[in-house]
Amino acid sequence: VPENPPSPVDAAIEAYKRDVDRTLIREMLKLTPEERILRLQKFVEFATELRRKTLELGRAATGD
Amino acid sequence: VRPPATDFIGLLGRLLEARVEFIIIGGLAGNLHGSARATFDIDIVYDRSEDNLDRIVGALAPLDPYPRGAPAGLPFVFDRATLQHGLNFTLETSLGDLDLLGEVAGGGTYQTLKDSTFEVDVFGFHCRVVTLSKLIALKRAAGRPRDLDTIAELEAIVEERECQGGSGED
Repeated sequence: VPENPPSPVDAAIEAYKRDVDRTLIREMLKLTPEERILRLQKFVEFATELRRKTLELGRAATGD
Repeated sequence: VRPPATDFIGLLGRLLEARVEFIIIGGLAGNLHGSARATFDIDIVYDRSEDNLDRIVGALAPLDPYPRGAPAGLPFVFDRATLQHGLNFTLETSLGDLDLLGEVAGGGTYQTLKDSTFEVDVFGFHCRVVTLSKLIALKRAAGRPRDLDTIAELEAIVEERECQGGSGED
């Protein structure tokens, strides 16, 4: 009996799964939950600062 | 005044210090399970008992919560009555963005979702977090195309945990 084909959603998820960086996941799994939050906090602060600086530079370039 | 970035520890700390009953879901739950994806807000499902609503107000009112993305100057008062009249609130606060959810697709209320949680110790507090399998179910139930690659990563975490001899859950 042929297997049912995966749903379009499952097929899309499986396709995305091929691109998941499993080395990154393995590194994350070595951390404690506290360390994972601290890592997230640092990244979000970095990303927010980067976005702020980019906007500043954009404004300076256009003279706004 | 909006902060430059969400203070995850500060915002969680206020809720936990006030003994608010809530469950962490969304991107922060994913991070606690080992996701490497960034999230810029905190999503929680909260208990809607009157006592808990009072604790939420006590914890958050000093942070000037306001509906995120709404025009300035709305007569928004963050008190128990407002929480009772609404259900889900997407808020900005002086410590960052917080989604207060009375109910969530695929998970229901705090009471129904509570069976699919576990406790984790962070920064001296016991914090209730949705299980990885339920988090995947919530993402699937939300039905948003942008969640598909998030689900892929969460399922990969389950597979990696199983490879490491675990059950796929914490």
